[in-house]
Formats: sequence, structure tokens, C-alpha cells
Amino acid sequence: MNTLGRRSVLRASLGLATGAALARPYIANAAAKTATVWWVQGFAQEEDVAFRQLVAEYEKASANTIDYSVVPYAPLRQKIVSAITSGSVPDLIPSTPAEAYVLFAWDDKLVDVSDVVATQKHEYSETALLSASCYNRIEKTRSYYGIPFTSASLPNHIWRPLVEKAGFKMEDIPKTWDAYYDFFKDVQKKLRAQGERKVYGLGLQVTTNGNDPNNVFNYFLIAYGGVGIVTKDGRLHLDDPQVRDAAIKAMTYPTTAYKDGFVPPGAVNWNDADDNNAFHARQIVMDLDGTISTEVAIIKDREDYDNIVTMGLPLSNDGKPVPAQVANGIAMIPKGAKNPDVAKDFLKYLIQPQVSNDYLKAGLGRNIPAMPSIAKNDPWWSADPHRKAYVEQGLLGPTVPEFFVYNPAYAQARNEHVWSVGWNDIMQGGMTPQAAAEKAFKRVEEIFAKYPIVQS
Amino acid sequence: MASASVIGFSSPAVARRIAPWRYLQGGLKGSEYNWAIAFLVPYVAVFLTFVVYPAFYGLWMGSDPSLYTELFSDPIYQSTVVNTLLFIGIAVNLKMFCALLMSGFFMRRGWWVKALLMIYVLPWAVPALPTFISIHWMLNGEWGLLNNAIYQIFNVDGPSWLNSRWFALGSAIYSHIWKWMPFWTVILLAGRMAIPQELYDAAKVDGASGWRQFVHINFPLLANLYLICTLLSTIFTLGDFNSVFFISGGGPANSTHVLATLGIRDAFDLAKPRLGVAAVMSALPLMIPVVIVLMRKLRTAEVQL
Repeated sequence: MNTLGRRSVLRASLGLATGAALARPYIANAAAKTATVWWVQGFAQEEDVAFRQLVAEYEKASANTIDYSVVPYAPLRQKIVSAITSGSVPDLIPSTPAEAYVLFAWDDKLVDVSDVVATQKHEYSETALLSASCYNRIEKTRSYYGIPFTSASLPNHIWRPLVEKAGFKMEDIPKTWDAYYDFFKDVQKKLRAQGERKVYGLGLQVTTNGNDPNNVFNYFLIAYGGVGIVTKDGRLHLDDPQVRDAAIKAMTYPTTAYKDGFVPPGAVNWNDADDNNAFHARQIVMDLDGTISTEVAIIKDREDYDNIVTMGLPLSNDGKPVPAQVANGIAMIPKGAKNPDVAKDFLKYLIQPQVSNDYLKAGLGRNIPAMPSIAKNDPWWSADPHRKAYVEQGLLGPTVPEFFVYNPAYAQARNEHVWSVGWNDIMQGGMTPQAAAEKAFKRVEEIFAKYPIVQS
Repeated sequence: MASASVIGFSSPAVARRIAPWRYLQGGLKGSEYNWAIAFLVPYVAVFLTFVVYPAFYGLWMGSDPSLYTELFSDPIYQSTVVNTLLFIGIAVNLKMFCALLMSGFFMRRGWWVKALLMIYVLPWAVPALPTFISIHWMLNGEWGLLNNAIYQIFNVDGPSWLNSRWFALGSAIYSHIWKWMPFWTVILLAGRMAIPQELYDAAKVDGASGWRQFVHINFPLLANLYLICTLLSTIFTLGDFNSVFFISGGGPANSTHVLATLGIRDAFDLAKPRLGVAAVMSALPLMIPVVIVLMRKLRTAEVQL
């Protein structure tokens, strides 16, 4: 028996290291056709089934392999940030949360995917193309760093039986913004008069948790004429009186409704699921909330599913269409990915209209396409009243991208909940809307100062 | 030979004649030394990989002074520090004191006490996330279980528990205590069980009351264990993210964040992991004295329990 000596240990270690170094290129070559993909778990199980089906079909068509992991939303967000920080990245990831790709593109952490976008550029909506275009502060230019594959917006979800119990018909709902939401205050009053002690008219998420309050604020801001708060060149326009006025109004309406008792008191600390739970429990008559997950969640309870009415946005107070702000589902390839070519090939496959359509349909249509032709050419999208309203609002009607695509500073303002902290200053801190807005303006300006964009 | 080497090293005159590298080998020779290295390498590798590397990586991530400028300019940082101090100060001390009392109760004889202990440890045994989410819903002001019960019994509406900073922070502290008190109760119960019964018997012969037994037997013998548990709990509580995140979510209006939740928000919501690390690192002035005291207590010569 040989004695284990220092020299023998060193010899064996050196041999192993040399062998591994020599074998490495061949190992890498053998894996060249495999892309590692992290994907976000769907709200409905059908979405995960749809993704697995998509991968199986791609593998069959391409002979490449997709080594995928389906991860829930919150853990995936942490995995993505950790991976990109450490440099140990997969080949393809969805932007989770929605604004992640803008922040990573800013720091030059993503692969330019203009060549992938080019394959379907003619199919994409203008909003989807704007969403995919991000500023890179190292390159000092904009380019496509994300591939849009879905769209999502905020429809109004309304319980028809509660409206009718209050003695109204759905046709009675006014068409302009303030009158539209005021209508539900009347519904609440009538229901309370009938002994409904805990029902509230408006499900406005005046909280400082999650994405919902940011979206609600932006929708009110746009409706009041503040769509130009950030322009395509990435500039902030809080010096524009129209924008300032719109922001103050967007501060005022939800908080006044809250203080007047038309929004559940607990809404100041709701999380993303609380409004859905309140709506399903019929504690709120309407909810302005993203996607049709509210409806899809109860699709097997047909009576309730049919009793919910999904509506697009009302007109502005002066009777003009209000564009829906759309958050596109974005896939991104981090720099340092081992097989970006396979990832790009998979993305080119995914965004083919027919493939994309099949994928989204299998997911019950909770997310809508990023390409108008898909919804126009397939009657499935208008066969269901919820999907029809949703597609008309978020794809076929007027839309604008999220403000953070123009400048990632807005992503930080959004994550700090600057605007909804302002709401809270009014509702619980006793500030006037003007004072709360001024405080929020100051913080937003501070944040934007950290994200300068060179103008060409 | 080995014993001769040991004897030799104890003599400075002999040690001078030995080459320095042999001196560093601790008296081991040839394959003995190689085997010692072979056994040591896995432990050193694990220690370097999972302790030293993460610690230094964290220190490196939070080493840029500009991070702290950004952190301190965050409008909610100061209130977060206050919340952290309150959370630790109240939660740790209340939890440990109640655990001490409860451990005394569970020393009682009887099958029903053992059965009760099994039920009592359930909050610690069940997964944290579903229970905290359930508590969050129970505390909902409009349709939560608690306020519905208050309305049914007293015909009045209860407060909106999660709408005010102090109620929400109090709810998070309560949930933390509810979750972790059983664990520390069991630890202190084990400490009490290690106290020899003879001491109590002798005290009874001397006519000592229950209170005097506690003051003169339990308290001195458990003091070291209690202090160490309190210090450990302080460290654990500083890193407790779940209690605050799933009960109050840091709200209302970001008013109940603690450093653990602020760090996660900065790291993952703002996608600024270095800022997140800096938020947690800013607790080091509190942590370092705690760790030093803990280390000194753990190596104390006068072993109590």
C-alpha cells in the first residue's frame, strides 16, 4: 500500500487541475446547444404548463436544449439580482420585477438584443418597442436590451350584482374619469342604506406596498394630463405646470375618496394580494388592478366569473381617450451568459406571432400579446368578455409605456413609493395635497439627479 | 518518537536545534503530518468558503463610503433605525422574560403540562410565512378575524391594526414573540432541568419560599444561560425579516421598516445590492459589542449552566 505523502498529494492535485483545464473546452463545446433559463412562475398553473409546452416544442424544432427552472416571482427577483451582481448568470431571464431590465441596461449588464427584435419589429406595437429600448450609461446610447413577449395593463373590475343591488344598471356608469369613479361612491351609499355594513365603493390601492399603488397613481396622473412627466429623452418635467397640476389632482382624488370613507381604511397598508381578496369577498364594488388575474382566479366558478365586468378606462374629464400605461413582459440576456446564441434563438422562436399566441392562449390570456396582429387575427381574444375588454384596453386602444423605460430614475421613485407616501402624508399625516405633492416632487427630482442621460 | 519530540519542544535548548519548519509542524513527522493536513483541509475549505469568503465579500460590497451617503440620505433611514432599536429592545427582552417565566411553568409535573408544552411549541414548529400571512389577514381592519370578533362581542369596530405606525410595529413585535418564545422557553427549560434537585430540596428544608428559591437558586444558575440566550436572540432578531415584511410590509408609508427589511428593499426592489448590504452593515456598531460580550461570556471560566 502506498503511503500518502505530501508529494503524492501535490502530484495528484496537479494532475487533476491539468486534466480539468485540458478537458474544459470540450465540456463547453458539448454544452454549447443548451441554454439555461430561469422563468417566472405563472399566476395560474396553466401558464407554467404553457411554458413547458413551449420549451418542448422549441427543443423538438431546434434540437437545442433549454435547461429551465420555473421560480416564484419574489424569489426569482432575488435570484436575478444576486446572479447579475455576482456575474454567475443564466442565459435567459424574464425581467422580474418589471423594471429590472431598465436598471440592468443602465449599468451595461445586458446583451444588446436588437437582432432578435428586428425579426418581428414590424409586428410589435409602438409601445412594446418603446418598452424594449433602454439607455445604457456606459455606451451613452439607447438600444434594445429586452424582448417584449407579453403586455399588461390595469382594467377596472366591477361586481355587476353589487351595482344592480344598489339599484343601478351597468349602462348608468358615466363615461368620464371623475364621474366614473364617483358613481361607485353612490353605489356604496345605496348598499350601506340596505345594511351592507362593510362594503366599499372603490378598491383604490392607496398603499405603499408592491406595484399596485404606483400603477394606480400613474393612471390617475395620465388621466389628468400628466403623461408628459417623463419624456422619451429621459427628462423629468416637473417644471411643466400641466404635469404639476395633474400630479396634484392624482394626489387629491384617491385620498379624498379615502378620507370620505369610500375606500377601505385598511387599503393604506394593503399588499398586492389584499385588493384581490377584498374584491373576491365582495367587500369592494370595483378594483382598478393589473391584468385579468382577478377574473382568471375564479374561472372555474362560472357564475362569479360571469358576474364580474371587466372594463377599460373611462375618458378623461374633458372627454378624450386616456391611454393605458402598459407594462410589457420582457425577456433579457445578461452579459456573461455562456450560450447567448441559443438564448437568442429561443427568443426568436418565442416571439413568432403564432408561437406567442399559442403560449399566451394556453396561459388563459391573463397576459395579452405585445403584437396587435395576434389579437386582431384570432377571434379567441374577443370570444370572452373579459379578454375582449382587456385586449381593447391594453393592446388595441391607445397605450403608453411605463415611465421608467425613458429613465430608470422613475423605477427608483416607484420602488421608494414616493407618490403613495405622498398619499399617506395626506390621509394620515394631515398634509394638503399641494404640500404632499411638493414633498414628492423634491424627492423625485433628487432621484432623477442621480440618473443623468446624455442627450445626443 | 512523538512523545520524545513533544518533550524536546518543551526544552528551548532542543527547540533551537530544530529547523523552524519542523517547529511549525507541531512535532508531527513524515506521513503523520500529511495525514493531519489531509484531515484539516476539508474543514479549512468549508470555513473559508462558507464563513470567511461571504463575510469578506459582504464587507467588500459595503465598503464604498458613497453608499452610506446615499443610505443616510434616504428619507426613511432614521425612522428605520429607531424601529430596529425598538423592535430588538422590546421583542428580545419581553420574549426572553416571558420564556423564563414559562420555562418555570413547564417544570411542573403532570401529563397535562407535557401535553400543553407540545401545543405551546407549535408556533415555533410551523412554517413562518403562512402563519405571518394569516396574522396579517387576521389584523385586517375591515374583515379580519380579530376585528370581527371585537364587533361580535362588543358591537364596536376595532382599530385598523396595520394603519398606524405604532400598532403595525407592535403587531410585528407581537408576531415575532409569538413565533420565537416557545424556542427560547425550551432552551431555558433545558437549563432549569440541569439544576440538581438536591438544591431545591435543601432550600425547602431551610424553609425557602418559591420566590427565594428563584432568587437564590434559579436566577444565579440561569443567569449566564439567560444572558447568552438574550445576546443570541439579539443577533437573530436583528436579522428577522419575516416578522416585519409579512405582517406590516414595512408600511404604512414605509414607517415600520427595520434594517433587515430596508436592506432587502434596497438590494432587490431597488436592485442595489451594495446599498442593501450597507443598510445591514450600518447595524455593525450595535452588533460588534454584542458579539464581543457573547464571546467573552462563552469562554467564561466560571461555568454556571
